Amino acid sequence: MAEFRDQPKLESAILALKAAGIGADDMDIFSEEPVELRRGILDRPSSMSLVAVVGAIVVGGLATAGVYAAQHNYRLITGGMPIFSFWGTGVITYETTLLGSVLATFGWFLWESGLLRKRDKNVPIPTVLPGVMCLRVRCFDPHVTRARQILDTAGATDIALKEVA
Amino acid sequence: MAASAPELLPYAKIREDLFRPLSKGSSAYWTTVFGALSIVILGAVAWGIQVRDGMGVTGLNRPVFWGFYIVDFVFWIGISHAGTLISAILRLTDAGWRKPVTRAAEAITVFCLMIGGMFPIIHLGRSWLFYWLIPYPSERLLWPNFRSPLLWDLVAILTYVTGSVIYLYLPLIPDMAQLAEHNVPWRRKLYRILSLGWTGSDREWHALERAMKLMACIILAVAISVHTVVSWDFAMSIAPMWHSTIFGPYFVVGAIFSGIAALLLVLGILRRALGLELYLTKHHFNNLSKLLLLMSLLWFYFTFAEYQTVWYGNEPSEMAVFASKIRGPYAPFFWTMVVCNFVVPFILLGIRKLRTITTAMVSSVCVLTGMWLERYLIVAPTLGNPRMTSASGIYTPTWIEFAITAATFAGMIVLYLLFSKLFPIIAVWEFKPHPVEEE
Amino acid sequence: MSIDLDRCTGCEACVVACHAENNLPVSSPDQAEKGRTAHWIRVDRYYEGEFPDVKVKYRPVLCQQCDNAPCEPVCPTYATYHNPEGLNVQVYNRCVGTFYCANNCPYTVRFFNWFAPEWPEPLQLQHNPDVAIRPAGVMEKCTFCVQRIQRGKRDAMVENRPLADGEIQPACVQSCPAEAMAFGDLNDPESKVSKLAGSGRSTLLLGELGTKPKVFYLERAK
Repeated sequence: MAEFRDQPKLESAILALKAAGIGADDMDIFSEEPVELRRGILDRPSSMSLVAVVGAIVVGGLATAGVYAAQHNYRLITGGMPIFSFWGTGVITYETTLLGSVLATFGWFLWESGLLRKRDKNVPIPTVLPGVMCLRVRCFDPHVTRARQILDTAGATDIALKEVA
Repeated sequence: MAASAPELLPYAKIREDLFRPLSKGSSAYWTTVFGALSIVILGAVAWGIQVRDGMGVTGLNRPVFWGFYIVDFVFWIGISHAGTLISAILRLTDAGWRKPVTRAAEAITVFCLMIGGMFPIIHLGRSWLFYWLIPYPSERLLWPNFRSPLLWDLVAILTYVTGSVIYLYLPLIPDMAQLAEHNVPWRRKLYRILSLGWTGSDREWHALERAMKLMACIILAVAISVHTVVSWDFAMSIAPMWHSTIFGPYFVVGAIFSGIAALLLVLGILRRALGLELYLTKHHFNNLSKLLLLMSLLWFYFTFAEYQTVWYGNEPSEMAVFASKIRGPYAPFFWTMVVCNFVVPFILLGIRKLRTITTAMVSSVCVLTGMWLERYLIVAPTLGNPRMTSASGIYTPTWIEFAITAATFAGMIVLYLLFSKLFPIIAVWEFKPHPVEEE
Repeated sequence: MSIDLDRCTGCEACVVACHAENNLPVSSPDQAEKGRTAHWIRVDRYYEGEFPDVKVKYRPVLCQQCDNAPCEPVCPTYATYHNPEGLNVQVYNRCVGTFYCANNCPYTVRFFNWFAPEWPEPLQLQHNPDVAIRPAGVMEKCTFCVQRIQRGKRDAMVENRPLADGEIQPACVQSCPAEAMAFGDLNDPESKVSKLAGSGRSTLLLGELGTKPKVFYLERAK
């Protein structure tokens, strides 16, 4: 784990580590506020938008179908209006579509951020001070010294090694 | 202080200032909470009397079957649009000045929705059966009537509540993770559970930012539709001066208008009460005042268009309602509303020299009064002047309705005070620290 | 139903009969002042001219049992809907009291039970056992004396014969001394009501709204 206070130094460190063969999945940056790295350095692909759209369509469609089934379940005539019409149900379709996207977004966020996934208890989580960005690299024995070297040359202010079983 | 923007303050000071309100409350704080709570209890007693004795204890009658409760309902749901406009639109347009304002706004939304959502239950003749509007397989072997605008209300408000709570909760997670580290034991446990084990990794930050962007778009779409749907409770009926196509946009504009006023008022009070002068600066109030002025002009435009159309059309049943508002028994309320909603904001906020934080707060109070009167003037005059003139009537509210209305204002105060004691009212993580080491 | 406005004298016998037949609650002076009294059928008076040349017109107004009833689609619990016979029925036990139907009725013929109904002694002995007593919190309105319709249909079925025209009479129709009201089957072209409805004197109240009311007011064309 290495602490950086300067964003360009952190970026060069990551690039160097990637060149040495350490994958993006093995690197994590911990900070008290979001760190905006330049594009291409440590991108995390996300399918949240797609999930939101899918959730929207699914819930909206189900709700509309549900209303259709409910209205036809026991047909009661009201004031000359049709038993089911898209005009009349339009509001419910719209709202439930949006509700679906809200729930899908929230649910996917919980999954994608790792907050709801099973955590590996042995992995260390650094406590970071504000303004500090801590880069945590996970690698196996032969690469450790090389990684340490890269972090040192890149300008990390504090490097700590932690062994994990 | 020399710093003009809150972002340039040293981080430790930001932390200290924004976390200080979470510590023990002063006597003024607890007095306010208990005072407000007693008004809430009075309102609950009033409602209890209404449930026990029947709706006759209110001022409702034939033909004015809807009164204060529906006015309050529309009013509170309207104010809830504060959070969405400020938070979502400013987030989407990346306006920096929104940072200290968003969480206060989002909290207003959630609590106003909770309060407003009580009224569809309170106004029922048989309140204890309100759950019959919820679609569940019942012994009546009937589903509710989805053709009714009241069901649309139910779905819309449910969606909005879910969305707003999630929208408030998401940016709260990083702050709660920070709070979990230094606090009293029971609070630490609360924050730790609520923050879901947030560690501050970049994966989590990316997911959060993506979710916030999506939620901002979605919640904006929901907010616009919610008050449109509420307005359709009126517009879908054929009562004179209700059956108007302008009601959808009119109510949305009115909602955003009253929402910004409420936000301005709340921020003004918070600024003084919590000592947040460095974070909620003249700049923020200036921007909010300009927005309030803009909405005031928009509101005036819609109101003028609506009344002009009615007057020019000269249709007898509509003109009866129109006359009762402009010249008749509702005239004092009508002209007060115009002064409060248009004249006062126009003068106090339109003239640069007069636009200060205090005058902005005065304008906000006027606007909130005016907007409540506007809702009242939509409900009572139309119902009091039905098409069959033999059935005309006037509405005189009783202490029950006043008590319940007052209780909702008090309830809002209680909820907000408790919220500000448990969670930082300004999002701490949104303030990036000074890049060099703290002096 | 048809109501002949040229015959109506404004005596309000129909109002009294309706009260007696349908267990309408008795109001009090201050409740009446607040506008809480229920008259399922009421007689509206319209005055023309100045004294001493005053002319009065009477119009009994009751639930028009509209085919395109504006009150029906807005009820969230289907407490009011159109039954297969064409009646606009009010189902008391489904009503939660949202008041939407009453707001939407252009004729203002819907009434709410503001309190639990009361009758001063000994009027409670006069209740009609065929009609429900509505609790506080539900909406009510003219039902075309649905209890009489049910009884008439049942009698006809038991005696194995079709219903005769004019056999079923709601309380108001029965009690009108001027015989201004008629009640019958609009689907039957030979019934008295159908013939009157098709006559040149037949008008609809607020017909331009498109509610398709089923009460035809007969009056001389102006």
